Amino acid sequence: MLEHQVITRVIKEAMKKGGDFAEVYVEEKDLTGIVCEDNQIEKVNSGRESGAGIRVVSNGNTAYAYTNDLSEEGLLKTASIVAHAASGTIRDLNIDLKQRRSELELPFLILPEQFSFEKKVKALLDANTAARGVDAEIKQVTVSLADLHKRFQVANSLGQLVEDEIVRTRFVVNAVAARESIIQTGFEAVGGVLGWELLNEVDVEQMARQAAKRAVQMLDARPAPVGRMPVVMACTAGGTMVHEACGHGLEADLVQKGLSVYAGKIGQEVASRTVSVIDDSSLAKKNGTLRFDDEGSPGKKNILIDKGVLKGYMHDRLTAQKDGVEPTGNGRRESYQHKPIPRMTNTYIAPGENDPEAIIRDTPHGLLVKKMGGGQVNTTTGDFVFDVQEGYIIKNGEVQYPVRGATLTGNGPEVLKNIDMVGNDLGFAIGTCGKDGQGVPVSDAQPTIRIKSITVGGTGSGDGPEIRRFV
Amino acid sequence: MRDELLKAGRWAVEQARGNGVEAEAYVLHSEDLTIEVRDGQVDTLKQAEEIGLGIRVFQGNRMGFSFTTDLNQQAVRETIQRALEGARYTADDKYNGLPGAVSSYPEMATYDEEIEKTDLETKVEMARRIETEAKKHDARVKIVESSGYEDSRYSVAVVNSRGTEAFQKGAFCGLYISLMAEENGEMQTGFSVEARLNIKELDPARVGKEAARNAVRILGAKGAPSRPLPCILEPYVMTSFLGVLSNSFSADSVQKGKSTLKGKLGQVIASGQVTLVDDGTYEKGIASFPFDGEGWPSQRTVLIQQGELKGFLYDSYTARKDKTASTGNGMRGSFRGLPSVGTTNLYLQPGAAAPETLWQDIERGLYVTEVMGMHTANPISGDFSLGASGIMIEKGKLTYPVRGVTVAGNLFDFLRDIEGIGSDLRFFGGTGSPTVRVKSLSIGGE
Repeated sequence: MLEHQVITRVIKEAMKKGGDFAEVYVEEKDLTGIVCEDNQIEKVNSGRESGAGIRVVSNGNTAYAYTNDLSEEGLLKTASIVAHAASGTIRDLNIDLKQRRSELELPFLILPEQFSFEKKVKALLDANTAARGVDAEIKQVTVSLADLHKRFQVANSLGQLVEDEIVRTRFVVNAVAARESIIQTGFEAVGGVLGWELLNEVDVEQMARQAAKRAVQMLDARPAPVGRMPVVMACTAGGTMVHEACGHGLEADLVQKGLSVYAGKIGQEVASRTVSVIDDSSLAKKNGTLRFDDEGSPGKKNILIDKGVLKGYMHDRLTAQKDGVEPTGNGRRESYQHKPIPRMTNTYIAPGENDPEAIIRDTPHGLLVKKMGGGQVNTTTGDFVFDVQEGYIIKNGEVQYPVRGATLTGNGPEVLKNIDMVGNDLGFAIGTCGKDGQGVPVSDAQPTIRIKSITVGGTGSGDGPEIRRFV
Repeated sequence: MRDELLKAGRWAVEQARGNGVEAEAYVLHSEDLTIEVRDGQVDTLKQAEEIGLGIRVFQGNRMGFSFTTDLNQQAVRETIQRALEGARYTADDKYNGLPGAVSSYPEMATYDEEIEKTDLETKVEMARRIETEAKKHDARVKIVESSGYEDSRYSVAVVNSRGTEAFQKGAFCGLYISLMAEENGEMQTGFSVEARLNIKELDPARVGKEAARNAVRILGAKGAPSRPLPCILEPYVMTSFLGVLSNSFSADSVQKGKSTLKGKLGQVIASGQVTLVDDGTYEKGIASFPFDGEGWPSQRTVLIQQGELKGFLYDSYTARKDKTASTGNGMRGSFRGLPSVGTTNLYLQPGAAAPETLWQDIERGLYVTEVMGMHTANPISGDFSLGASGIMIEKGKLTYPVRGVTVAGNLFDFLRDIEGIGSDLRFFGGTGSPTVRVKSLSIGGE
């Protein structure tokens, strides 16, 4: 990591031609990835990467440059590139760097470098064996793990300095089941901001069996129905819906550019009264957990929608300044190669009062979603889609047969107003969220909820019992 | 740069060999520029320089890999040690190994000097021009989310202990815009993008106008009833389908039972109009390069010829397993990862039909202009169900815009159901397609 005097000189160099704000972000990271496929450890990748990103903001415009030359000379050269794009009054800067504090403690019990290759390899092979043991129809299993140990510094022309480290671990199982010419897949993923104590908290063999079972079960699934119908989303489904239906639209950069359906609606009712939406980077061990965001603002809990009423947006430093509010700790970047922008962390619909089973019993017909896949949203219109990994038909309040190939599509504000029951449970899923070409780790969650009516896009014509085959 | 990168690669390979292993170094240096403009102002200017080295070692049949962004000798020595340690745990797989030595590569023009020579102000002006042209095209264009110019210049060296020493410089440049049109309180989005090897071929006016047209034509969109309909897919939509489909042509997927095309070489898998090609030497292709991430020469590989499955894509590992030669598809995103089978310039060969003749006999159908959630399509089974918007076709004419519907089907059924292919081949990045007509897709709506 850099000496404080060097950081100060680099910030001064960046602002030598003017500018309102300058920042240096430095990271050094060690990464490991191991893949087990075809019953063998196929790939081991361990690398070390370091680099710095420097930005200057003048009149709301940003100049950004990065390098992986961390010598003072290399950094000053990079700073002078951004300086040339800055404008405004040249000030005599007096920067006295002061370390910022966060109330959040992140204990990392087993660091990546303390957990041997042997142990990582054993966990992968155990999961592989467990998944393959589920059924003879399991034809391929891919198990992978990854860890990251990152040390970073972020300092700015206001004299704010954060020096911290973060550890991430992740374990993913993908199973492929085949019967004659039908192929189906199932996956499970766990991970978060914690060390390899992850493997003490999660039974990876159990998780592998679950992925394999889903793949096998989907071989028997019928084509999903098509058309509008009630949908119950179990808490195990994960929070893709809240992430897409309102999360992105509440990111302040999109709001300020007039690109969100939620723009100008603070204080208004944007969802049913049963719905509260929260983004909380201070939750322990989750995939979007942060002690500080990537601009050095402390991570915290932000209530976005309270009982249906829009309370606030997710901000980085620039958008907060523009709106005259405090940064909310949502300024995130994929790496030193990217400028920070407002992003989600751990986003969820707060649990309500209904018994999850009673929600299903109370639904005469519709679709039960037990597991969601990925999704996408057009924040301007609020139109979103997401993929159903595991779905079932509900008839007369009872869960009937599995269906596959369904996508749900709807409009964010419409769907949020259409949620009429909210369960007292809560289930998380992890993911990587992509925006403006940057991927950042997030988690999202929801209780069991019911949407009165939403478009389901399958290929089935109503109740057709046939299994569609492809050759 | 040539000497610097080759020297670093040679040194790393020699050091690794000192440990009694075969080795390969992949060294990359790149410089990127992004200019993003909003309301005539430079909103973000980004300049970047990056260097890194990835080293692959083979201890017998065991493979290890590590990378570093620090090229000083001590850091490279540590990187080799990490790769050697990794090799202790990977499988003893007899198909692992380096590709043989290569002495010559196809001659290719991948570096346009003008990209580097063109000054910043000219590039900023191009980015501004996209925005002004878009607004000029239609008064309903109210907000430009981002409009920009970007370029990338890079040098790659691959050195291995079999004697391969490959080096090439590459560069590309591009324009993009994403905007909003508004009418009666309703907003719709439109975008356009263009990437070229030569800066002279960039056309800001065309990019701006196209994005404006894309947003305006969906204004006033309504829902549609659920039913199967014949569909016309615009080139951009079709290229995203090809992206998902490409997985099935990877020899790695085939060998691991993750492709339904396994064992189907020589069989008819698509309509007779379909010819699908991967070509790493395609003239003006953004992904054209003399060699792949393993230093193996690029080539043209026919995957489907008039409906018949002709071949798969190979890197050196999968080629050894199938007792064939690599097709030069051992792709690497950067120095940070191992090579794996991927596409270069993948495209659906154009037909003879003018695109607008493809729907003149459709009684009722959907002209699909945008799909959402393509990453949720299943690359193995080929099942897809996507959000979509488009324009309704009635009695051979494009009529009213439609949004908020789903289109669902299976990619392999889709290939067989292709009824018409336009003459308008267009590339988006490394994937290209003309307009395509497909017999029927399941439309989900009201």
